Amino acid sequence: MQEIHAGGKPLKKAYVAIFLWFTGRAIQAAAKVDKEVKKEFDTLPDEFTFALGSLPNGPWMVVGKEKGKVKYFGGNLKCRPIHLRLVIKNIEAAFLILSFQESTALATTRNRLMTDGEVPYALSVIRILDIVEVYLLPKLIASLAVKRYPSWWPFGHKLAGRIGVYTRTLLGI
Amino acid sequence: MILPDYYEFCCRVQIVAGHDALEKIPALLAEMGAKKPLIVTDKGVAAAGLVDIVVNALKEGVTIGGIADNVPPDSDLKVVNQLAGLYRDNACDAIIAVGGGSVMDTAKGVNIVVSENATDLMAFSGAGALNRRLKPLVAIPTTAGTGSEVTLVAVIKDHEKHQKMLFTSYFLLPNVSILDSRMTMTMPPFITAMTGMDALSHAVEGYYCLQKNPLSDAHSLAAVNMIHQYLSMVTKNPADKEGRLAMAVGACLAGISFSNSMVGIVHNLGHATGAVCGVPHGICMAVLLPYGLEYNMHKRRDIIAELLLPMAGEDVYLKTPRAERADKVVSLIRQMNQDLNVITGGRHARYFSEVKDRDGKQMVPRDVLPEIAKAALFDGATIYNPEDSDYEDNLLVLEAAWEGKPLDRSKIKKG
Amino acid sequence: MDLTNGFAFICPFKTNSGNKALENLPVELAGLNACKPLIITSRKLAGGSAIGTLKNAFGDSGMTFGVFDEVTETADLNVVEQIRDIFIKGQYDSIIALGGGVIVDVAKIVNLAVSQKVADARQLSTATAIRDPLGPFVVIPTAAATGMETSKYASLHGISFVAVHLMPDLVILDPRLTRAKDGKAVAEAGFAAFGRILEADVAPGKNPLMHAYAFTALRFLRENLAEAVTKRCNKKASLAVANAVAMSGCVISNTDQTVLHRLGKVFQNIVHVHPGMIIGMCLYPFLDDQIKKDRSLLSNLLLTLGGDDKYVFMPEDGRPGAALREIYEFSYEIYAALKGKMPPTIREAGIQQYLMDDVLEVINQEPDGAYLRTIIDRVGGSSIKA
Repeated sequence: MQEIHAGGKPLKKAYVAIFLWFTGRAIQAAAKVDKEVKKEFDTLPDEFTFALGSLPNGPWMVVGKEKGKVKYFGGNLKCRPIHLRLVIKNIEAAFLILSFQESTALATTRNRLMTDGEVPYALSVIRILDIVEVYLLPKLIASLAVKRYPSWWPFGHKLAGRIGVYTRTLLGI
Repeated sequence: MILPDYYEFCCRVQIVAGHDALEKIPALLAEMGAKKPLIVTDKGVAAAGLVDIVVNALKEGVTIGGIADNVPPDSDLKVVNQLAGLYRDNACDAIIAVGGGSVMDTAKGVNIVVSENATDLMAFSGAGALNRRLKPLVAIPTTAGTGSEVTLVAVIKDHEKHQKMLFTSYFLLPNVSILDSRMTMTMPPFITAMTGMDALSHAVEGYYCLQKNPLSDAHSLAAVNMIHQYLSMVTKNPADKEGRLAMAVGACLAGISFSNSMVGIVHNLGHATGAVCGVPHGICMAVLLPYGLEYNMHKRRDIIAELLLPMAGEDVYLKTPRAERADKVVSLIRQMNQDLNVITGGRHARYFSEVKDRDGKQMVPRDVLPEIAKAALFDGATIYNPEDSDYEDNLLVLEAAWEGKPLDRSKIKKG
Repeated sequence: MDLTNGFAFICPFKTNSGNKALENLPVELAGLNACKPLIITSRKLAGGSAIGTLKNAFGDSGMTFGVFDEVTETADLNVVEQIRDIFIKGQYDSIIALGGGVIVDVAKIVNLAVSQKVADARQLSTATAIRDPLGPFVVIPTAAATGMETSKYASLHGISFVAVHLMPDLVILDPRLTRAKDGKAVAEAGFAAFGRILEADVAPGKNPLMHAYAFTALRFLRENLAEAVTKRCNKKASLAVANAVAMSGCVISNTDQTVLHRLGKVFQNIVHVHPGMIIGMCLYPFLDDQIKKDRSLLSNLLLTLGGDDKYVFMPEDGRPGAALREIYEFSYEIYAALKGKMPPTIREAGIQQYLMDDVLEVINQEPDGAYLRTIIDRVGGSSIKA
């Protein structure tokens, strides 16, 4: 007979944290570069803020609108009021999703992702995440990460968007 | 049989079915330590004499703590609180819900209030807010369609604050669902047809949507078989006892399937059409089902084809070439709508342009389709649909369903 | 399916199956209002690596949990009492059983003892009434599962309990734990599940809800058992078998057709062999009797086991026979794959005379003892007597 206190998973947590940081900045960038992302954010109320992260204690990514502009607010859930949380049930599942082994849709159908907040907002956020993934990832991986890869987008549009999103993400502008 | 990489399945509800299933309620309540149930229902159900049948079946074994028949068609927080008061005042120890979706929702809401001693129901909304057993709840569905006797969701509206509260928890599942043929026997043909098509849409969408799993599949196959076999029959002959029981069981199987595998574009567009135009849910399902199948055909052909044998039986299956099985499923569902349209003297709509209200006014004018297409973008069912659907896709499907023409599948954007 | 006489059905457990299923435990426990579980298992029977995998699944959850890993094959109510004491002193609020067979029987009875707040678990008996729902209970079967883990039955040293409340709230099937160590154990579990479900599914009183589970489980076994027996690296096949075995617990809890099940159990209790071994032997004579009684009941079995095309292309009167052939092929593949490690008859199992006498004595006391006896005779039981 023994009593055990659960240990940690620092490596997977670090991976997830880095990816959330990158994705958060990429969303901020995409809102400036891509019309669709911008349009989607426009449907959301002012000061709307959402968080994506893992139970029970992170890491998290907080993104929201501030004075009409989309901003990545870091990983602290307490930094401002949050209207919607996309919650991954555990760090292993977060790793599966953020290492693109499971798409957002697939993870949802596998009960790995829970929504805490209004469903319409969650759907907007998922659409935004899908577009950002298309920009960030090579086609081969992105077509696994989204339900339908937008192969009808003109090549120039995709390339320009990709360059824009990457530059701004890396520079943090 | 496909084993998904990961799946979850749960239906804890005890199902008791039969021509005299109601008579088993006192014993079932006793097993749960209850002997004074509150009966929750609505005026329509009571007027149809169904509550009397229930009371007659119960009176030998239990004391009825009260009968509340004032559940509105749209669940309402005020009524929930009022019924909770009735429950407490009469020292009830269980709830029996007799009716359709809104009665079930209300009963679940009352159960939260009385079990958690809640003053603010809102505190228990959202996932994970309920985490212990509630009071015994017995569900007696009076339509063979919604499947809400086996679902874990309740929607309660606060009409004063214009808020819609969503409750999701396994603890909201009824303890027992009673499927008794007497409860649907008096349902008029038009309602029978549309609730039956609602059930079929659960079974079929549950079978092709992304969260399908081996157990939901098995429930769907059985449901499709029973519904296809009996729906036209009971619509034509409402007093068909065996058929009524089979439809109740079929709808329950379909409910178990979709509450585990979720639903897709048919429900997505259907919810939006209901919200924008007030069209009854079952009619939306009947109209949209063939189009949902067509929209997903390029991704789910083989899976849809598997529905042919349970649906149509051996002869049709043998006569249909392998490559055409999925298309045959779609045409059989269109045929069902056609048959039901004839049986109900034209009341069962086949296309949206045919849907009329009581005054004969068209309920879905063509120019609202863009509004519906837009509203559908914000309905959760879109997640579980195999193919992605944006505004243009939604409009494409809605327009075809309005005109009653098969979907032009070459226009669907494929990734 | 004839619904005229009505039916009742219940399957109280939720199933989580597949990749990283274990990692959902903290969230699932929270949903059951539990935060400090006691894991009941056996280092010897479940294996140290299974226990390690389970412990790791709690990683990052911040939870505290207890592990009792000393259940043995000969566990009795004294062990239950010992664990009850640990549970109360450690202020645990839920039970997780990791493993199969006796481990889960012990866990079920501990759950009964702590939920009904008995003063001493050694006073529990077959007569103990189980009226109310018990505390949060999770079963995590390993490849050693017998199928009874998910059922309403629990028995330990001749004391048995039957109640729907004994069934778990949640069953977790994780491919890391369900992978078989040896082919014989998988075959035994598979045969046990197959036989128990089959007899419920060919009975006249079956209902569509139970059939949904039976259909899924039988087809899983038909498609995966041989593969799981021969290729132990095939995670997916053994996970499919584990799914079917877990479903069999639900099916057997909803039927009173238990000829094969009882035969297996008698041998298990007296001779200490896996019930699946006996059920595997008795499948064919049992079905032979069924086909003589009512051919139509076996007709649908061809659809379940053979699939749409085989069923439809076979004329109606050939279907029961074809179903039997499916089952024959199914068991042949498995016996052949095990290369003699699994005896196909009682004679070959080398059961000693005095044990057989005990078996027959118990069987004779059953209400349908005479019939059960004929099955045993046909699988070589009589030759031992002679």
